[in-house]
Amino acid sequence: MATVTYDSTTRYYAGNPQPAVDNLDLEVADGEFLVLVGPSGCGKSTTLRMLAGLEGVDGGAIRIGSRDVTNLPPKDRDIAMVFQNYALYPHMTVAENIGFHLKISKMAKSEREERIKEAAELLDLTPYLDRKPAKLSGGQRQRVAMGRAIVRRPQVFCMDEPLSNLDAKLRVQTRTQIASLQRRLGVTTIYVTHDQVEAMTMGDRVAVLKDGVLQQCDTPVGLFGRPANLFVAGFIGSPAMNLIPSTVIGESATVGGRPIPLTRAQRAELTSDKVVVGVRPEGWTIVAEGIDATVDVVEELGSDQYLYCSATTPQIDPTDSPDAPHAITVRTPGMSPWRPGEKLALAPHPGAVHLFDAVTGERLPD
Amino acid sequence: MTAALGAHKAGRRRLFLPFFLPAVSLYVLFLLVPTVATVVLGFTSWAGAGDTPRFTGLANFGELLASDSFRFSFLNTLLYIVVGGVGTFLLAFLFTMVLRDMRGGKTVRAILFFPNIVAPVALGMFFGIVLIFRPNRQGLVNFVLESFGIDAVKFLAPENVTWVVTGCLIWASAGFYITILMAAVDRIPPYLYEDADIAGASPWQKFRNITLPLTWDVIGVAGVLWTIGAIKIFELVFVLAGPGTYSPPIQSWTLGVYVFDRSFGTAGSPEYGMACAAAVVMIALVSVLVVMLRRMMRRDSVQF
Amino acid sequence: MTVTAPRVPKPTVPPRVAPRRPRPAPGSRGLSPLRLLGMAFVWLFTAFNILVLYWLLTATFKTPIEIFTKPFALPYQWFERGDPFRNIIYAWSNAGFGRAFLVTVVLVAVSSVAIVLVSAPAAYALTRLGVRGSNGLTNFIAIGMGIPFQTVVIPLFIGMAKLNLTNSLFGMFLVYVALSIPFTVFLLTGFFRSLPDELEEAASIDGASPLRTFFSIMLPLARGGLITALILNAIGLWNETLLALVFLNENANFTLARALFSFYGAASYQSEYGGLIAGVAIVVLPMLVLYVLLARRIITGLTLGAGK
Repeated sequence: MATVTYDSTTRYYAGNPQPAVDNLDLEVADGEFLVLVGPSGCGKSTTLRMLAGLEGVDGGAIRIGSRDVTNLPPKDRDIAMVFQNYALYPHMTVAENIGFHLKISKMAKSEREERIKEAAELLDLTPYLDRKPAKLSGGQRQRVAMGRAIVRRPQVFCMDEPLSNLDAKLRVQTRTQIASLQRRLGVTTIYVTHDQVEAMTMGDRVAVLKDGVLQQCDTPVGLFGRPANLFVAGFIGSPAMNLIPSTVIGESATVGGRPIPLTRAQRAELTSDKVVVGVRPEGWTIVAEGIDATVDVVEELGSDQYLYCSATTPQIDPTDSPDAPHAITVRTPGMSPWRPGEKLALAPHPGAVHLFDAVTGERLPD
Repeated sequence: MTAALGAHKAGRRRLFLPFFLPAVSLYVLFLLVPTVATVVLGFTSWAGAGDTPRFTGLANFGELLASDSFRFSFLNTLLYIVVGGVGTFLLAFLFTMVLRDMRGGKTVRAILFFPNIVAPVALGMFFGIVLIFRPNRQGLVNFVLESFGIDAVKFLAPENVTWVVTGCLIWASAGFYITILMAAVDRIPPYLYEDADIAGASPWQKFRNITLPLTWDVIGVAGVLWTIGAIKIFELVFVLAGPGTYSPPIQSWTLGVYVFDRSFGTAGSPEYGMACAAAVVMIALVSVLVVMLRRMMRRDSVQF
Repeated sequence: MTVTAPRVPKPTVPPRVAPRRPRPAPGSRGLSPLRLLGMAFVWLFTAFNILVLYWLLTATFKTPIEIFTKPFALPYQWFERGDPFRNIIYAWSNAGFGRAFLVTVVLVAVSSVAIVLVSAPAAYALTRLGVRGSNGLTNFIAIGMGIPFQTVVIPLFIGMAKLNLTNSLFGMFLVYVALSIPFTVFLLTGFFRSLPDELEEAASIDGASPLRTFFSIMLPLARGGLITALILNAIGLWNETLLALVFLNENANFTLARALFSFYGAASYQSEYGGLIAGVAIVVLPMLVLYVLLARRIITGLTLGAGK
């Protein structure tokens, strides 16, 4: 097994002066499950494909273990890749598909069959070995793609949105299967997804990318609990964190007339008097006197209830869309009696407040 | 509403005959009826206009088998179909292997395709001049050979011309079949080739394991098109092998030349009955080859 | 463990310039011997085609001696004598290509339009009227593409002779239109089949008559296909020789390909190679121009049927 290191890795595409991946520094530990997540076009797939050797590297280096693989062809990197569309060969049976890489590398037939059998048992594919991919369900095809990666016994798994073609229920099921399989095999895995739930549930650590730049790489708990900047704060968590702009006067900012004190260290870091106060939907308490808001929409999920409220305080949207309605999202227990049009007053839990510099977007020290 | 739509449908059905009839009647009158007539006339002895056809059974076909000119015609036609076909398709396969991820591939394809829209007569004359053997005033090819100190070759002599025509045929047709196959190759999802890259497959292994099986159906159709096209090869041979105004030596004949020579060609007196019999052989040959090809190429359909 | 994005921008190296050509994936440009051989072959083949075209274009302006002794040089002898277009003029007026050109342009244009006019309604009827047995009828017509012209030409000639339609451009026109129907109908059924159903249904709900729907909705939608069919037929007929050879035998009626055919024997006999090549050029160059302008449409049109 091996670590994976991106060392100031940069990638350009023809005709675009902006790099698709910009000076990426990232270290993945041996046996770790690292998830790359971000909106489409953020460079996450490019990052993965550079590791697989399907894309060139325009600057910096990539290492697997202590080996510099930057200029090695894919086959010499000892990696296996699971593609978004599975890349199954439609004219080959499941067994032939799983064994294709071994056949190309001229492995003896007996050993090849042994490995195919082993992988098929591991993935419950034994009854389907003689079928063509067209005769398989989506989930089965996905497992064949996994099988083809497993039989290589690689040092690193590269997975490019392997669940995005499955329906919602199967996706939840398969994601736990993949995660447990990875733990069992202990192979270092880089997993690309645009789905933050997948990222949070599967990864040992999650790296958030935007416009080719790494925003934060941390454990799911760290990412959720201490987002490093406004982008991560808005991107991780659903519904998104409420981000309320405010001005620091004296030692505290005010939200809806209530003071939110800043520590000395926080004030020292500020580049201006503008801050953004972040509160997750579950970070609010409903109080007698606080931020005045009106319930616009009630979303009942049974276990939880989300209230979408309009507040008197103007709010900025992390996606920088100035047209976004000035809304505050509040989580309340499921089946609460709230109705649209009702008025309420909100206050953040102590400890549920995230503070960001409004100019740089960076988190202020706690 | 549905009644109105139903009435509309019926109204549309009434359009069928007026729309379809002109085309189909021309088709039947000018293609099918003459084909049937040719088959019937193939069993008669008939000199041509002024003579009345007499039914002679299989006599024409016996005579065809016995005649040298027909034997040459049949074998040459078969040679063009088989050797020319194998050559063209091998060339096309080689090109698909290289063109798939080559820069400028589209331009190369357009250049290779060009001979397909040039009249075969013009191609034949062009090659006639380029390949001419005439000491001191050699055609282009012999000029090049001699400038490299190689002896000039009588390319257009009867014993060589069949192979020369095969070469020209391959050169001129390659672009068409490359384009057809490349269109099919372009539909193969790129991630299959990427997976093969990770497996470490060589260009040949990629061709063998991905390109070939996934373009199989198109290759089958292209093979049928080739057979249909090659069976009627006429102008190229007529111009390259002969003086142009009358038929070339019989060693170079094809079935198309044979039919033309025995009916409208100026050499000898016309024998329309024999020409029709040879035309029947053409239809039979093309049918047999197409059926064989389809049978050979049949397999489970692949969807991707 | 937490890696946060740097608070202070990294001391960036002087403004980075995006590479003009990003680096290709490692291994993809690997020069395996097979690949190298293939590349060399492809380029040689392509270069050969370009050379052929160059030779044809230059030879059009050369004397026979230049053609055979200086095949790669640029023409100069006719230029020196102040008569650079001598070959073309010879072919055009002395060998009858001028008249043949006119005949061909008119015959090809009128025939191609007529072919499309007859075939488009048939293709529409076969694909969009929902008549049972349409598929069988389409195949029945498509089989016609496999019939070699040699097999129909004898009875056709006899029949046309009876009607006094041989050696007549109108007879030629009829034959060209009829024999082009299978290919054109087949090509156009592909185009009509790919059109969406909704438009026709919308038209019928709006109360348009079936005939009106065809002319004002379906034909404009299939315009691309009709133009492709027009061009492909024009190319095919421009180059057609066998039928012209059989049905036309008077110089005044000759098409270009037919005129070239007749000129070949005389020209080689008199060593009039300059005029002959000019004749070839007169046949080829209009197609070359058409091809340069419409390469994409021609290529996709001609390969369409096979790709499906």
